[in-house]
Parts: sequence; structure tokens; C-alpha cells
Amino acid sequence: MHIPDGFLSTEVCAATTALSLGAVGYSLHKLKDSLADRTVPMTGMMAALVFAGQMVNFPLIGTSGHLIGGVLAAAILGPWAGCLALTLVLFVQCLLFGDGGIISLGANILHMGVVGAIGGYAIYSAIRRFLGRTGSATIVAAVVASWVTVMAAAALFCLEFRLSQSAEEFEFLNAFTLMVTVHSAIGIGEALITGVIVSFVLKQRPDLLYSSETNGSVFIGLRRVFAAGMIFALAIAAFLSPFASSLPDGLESVAMRTGIDELERNTIHSPLADYDISVLTESWPILSVSLAGIVGTGSVLVIALLLGRAFRLRPSLADATSGD
Amino acid sequence: MADYIDRYGRSRSLCHRLPALAKLVMAITVVLVGVSIPVELWPLQGVLMGIVFMGHSLARIPMSYLVRRLALFLPMLFLISLALPASQGFSSGWPIMIRILFRSTVAFLSVLWLINVMPFDQLLVTMGRLFVPKVFIATLAFMYRYAFVLWDEIETMKVARRARTFSGGSLLFRWKTLAQMIGMLLVRAMTRAERVHGAMCARGWDGTVRSIDTE
Repeated sequence: MHIPDGFLSTEVCAATTALSLGAVGYSLHKLKDSLADRTVPMTGMMAALVFAGQMVNFPLIGTSGHLIGGVLAAAILGPWAGCLALTLVLFVQCLLFGDGGIISLGANILHMGVVGAIGGYAIYSAIRRFLGRTGSATIVAAVVASWVTVMAAAALFCLEFRLSQSAEEFEFLNAFTLMVTVHSAIGIGEALITGVIVSFVLKQRPDLLYSSETNGSVFIGLRRVFAAGMIFALAIAAFLSPFASSLPDGLESVAMRTGIDELERNTIHSPLADYDISVLTESWPILSVSLAGIVGTGSVLVIALLLGRAFRLRPSLADATSGD
Repeated sequence: MADYIDRYGRSRSLCHRLPALAKLVMAITVVLVGVSIPVELWPLQGVLMGIVFMGHSLARIPMSYLVRRLALFLPMLFLISLALPASQGFSSGWPIMIRILFRSTVAFLSVLWLINVMPFDQLLVTMGRLFVPKVFIATLAFMYRYAFVLWDEIETMKVARRARTFSGGSLLFRWKTLAQMIGMLLVRAMTRAERVHGAMCARGWDGTVRSIDTE
């Protein structure tokens, strides 16, 4: 899962780093509101725990897997401190173990810290709200959230990898299928481990699990997480869409050229010429694709929220959540 | 294990005497340049690899240590980068894969050099002087301290588990035992963190870490 340096292009690394910096910065900002003197040692310990937990190898046929821990950290510490804990883990792994590159650290934090902890917590708390906040609901929520976040991270990696390679060097669909298949298995492992750990904690020290009630109302907390997720998704759409659009543009310009000048296509000048075109005349399409990305992501989130509202209207469930 | 990670961080050499900030900037520059060199300038990659190896020998980091670290790193890297040719039915994509392997190795060796030419706490202090927020550094310092404690704890638990269970059992059973071990570790770790936090509060902890600058 840890991406080493050299896989992603510098532009993609810069974009993902910007996104991660924003998310981690916001997490740090959120943590300042809570009791800082307690957060610092507890987050440090949780990061150390995820770190040590990843040393435990789970036997698989022929190989072995390990915990990733995004949803686990968020379930214990909440989304913001969970994101910080995973960031620290990735940071130390990158520096001390060479596990994941230093330039691609932003991408790794995006996958495991932001999608894993913040995104995972959004799913986790949403499911807990719909199923009621009982012990079994908590375990189900943790299991589902773990699986979904692993898959989301894999899909995100495919997208970033695609944007880093030129079109003819890489079959996106094949690689996507490969990655998603492998990661659906990894995700099941992660879900199993997280589920067992959460059920163990529920038995031994249920008070360790993070509850948003200590930081205000459940609903406001959840709404905030949703809002953060939405802003984040929009940022991804806005950041990455122009990168995506530049690829078909390149192909188009090559197709255009074949009619005009056969020879020039094969010279070294063509990428430069393509660059000129994209700077002078195609800045509007880039902007429009960016806008389309934002609108698309926004509408998906609106649908998700509407579905959530439809669920909430069921009286029995509403009673279960508000009575808890 | 603790000794293995940054074994040479506290030894003395030409590289160790350089200012910490310069070392940090140098390592990051090498990674950045290595990643952004275009394909046409491939000899530059070789030069960069030479520079990194020269840095290691100047810092008196023995080759045997590099080989052992690379032996752990390269197979993993190879498997990930195999996705490139695999996505095209192994018919093409090999040159790109080799390019990626080379780049990643340069970056890996560069970071390895960085952590082996200064102690980790000094690296933390240096980062704290730059743009990194204080809370982040403080939490990182806690994590670095606790990681070794938990490491020892998990080794103890592994021994205890081996002493109590016969080897084997179904795969699912083993997974359950291992996951419960992490759960146990989590409960113990959090209890310990609470205890330590209480002790820290009793000694006047207010959320700010005061460190002695090691430089």
C-alpha cells in the first residue's frame, strides 16, 4: 500500500501533498479546540500502537498481511486525531523504514490518513447512527468502513498512477481491475482485524471508543465530518480534473497533427507544441472540466445525503439513535 | 530492533558534523531531482546514484548495512512495480518499470542516509524550526518514545502466546488470536498512556513540550 518515490509524477505528488497538508492542518486546528494536553500523549500512543500493530504479520497462503489501522485509530481517537496518528505513522515509516517515499508521503497520507481515518470515520459514524449505537452495530460499522476505505484508497492510487504515466505506457482498466481485485482481499483482511480488535475493546474497555458526545452533539459532529468530506471531495475533483483533461487533449492534438504534418509528429518538438496549445487556447476547457468535476462530486454527495435523510425518517431508527 | 533502524545516527564522521538543516535539505533535494529527471537524461540518474553512494561512504555507513536494508526494500518495490508490465500482459512496460525501480532506489538510499547521519531527536528539532507545527513535533516525539515500549510489549506477548498455544490451528483461528493480541495491546497501551498523562499533569504538563536543543 505504501507508494515509494518514483511511481507518481512530481505534479501528482504536489497535488496530493497539498490536499493532505490541508486535511492534516485542519485536523491540527480541530485538535486545538479540544484538550491539547491530553490529545498529544494519547495520539502519540495510538500512533505507536498502529505502528507496532503493523509489525504483527497475519499469515496468508504464501504471504502475509498486516493492519493498516485508519478506521481503528479513528474509532478510538475520533477523525481528526485519527488522521494525525496515521500521518505520524506514515511519516516515521517513510523516514525510518523507507516504507513509502518522502515525496509521495502526501499521497500515502491522503490514502491512509485522510481517506482511511477521516473518510473511514464518516462511514463508521453514519452506519452507527443508522443501526443504533449498540455494540454489534459498532462492530459492523468498523468492518464496513475498513473495507470501503481500503477499496477507496486503491481506486485513488490507480487514478494517481494513471495521471503520472503517459497514456500509451499504461492500460488503466487492466491495472484498475488488478488493483481493486487484490485490494478487495486486503480489505477483507483489514475489516476482519479491525472488527476483532473493536469487539475486544468493546468487551474490555468500551469507554476507550471515541464518542462524539464528549465534543458536542452527535448530529453536529456528523454533519461536520460530512461537510469536511464534501469539501475534500470537491478539492480532489478540482485539483485532479485538469490533470485528467490534459491527457485526452494531448491525444487530440496528436490526431489533429496527423492530418497537417506527418513528420513533425515524430520530432521532439511535439510535446512543447502541445504545451503551447494547452496554455494559450485550452485554459477554458481545463476550467470547465474542473467545474464539471466539482458539480459531479457535489451531486453524488447530495444524493448520498438525501438517501441518508430517507433513512433517518424511519421512526424506529430515529428513536433508537436519539434515545441513545 | 531499535538499533537496527538508525544504527549510525550517533556515530561521528564528516557528514555527521554538517549542520542538520543542510543535511535535511540535501536529502530532499536528491529525492526531488531523482524523481523529476526526464527519461532522456538517464545518465544523470547514474550520477545521482553515485552521489548517494558517496554520501554513504563519507558517513562511514558500511556497505553490508545498505545491502541488508535493500534486501528488504527491493523485493517489495519489485512486486509493486510489476503492476506496470502486468497491466499490459507482460508485453511491454519493462523499461518504465526499470526506470521506476532505479528512481525509487535512489530515493530510498537518500532517506536512509538522512536518518543515519543524525539522531532522530535532532531531526525532530530541525523540522520544528522549519514549517512543521509544534503539536505535530510533540506528538511525533511521544510516538517515537512509545513505539519502542510497545515493540517490547508485543514481543513479550508473542512469547506468551507461543508458550500457551500449540502451533497451527485454522487460519481464521490464528487471525483471531493475532487480532486479539493487538486489541490487548491497545487496551494496555491506552491505560499506560492515561497513567503517564496523569503523572505528567502532576508534574506541571500544560500541553507544550520543552526540549533541550541538541545542536
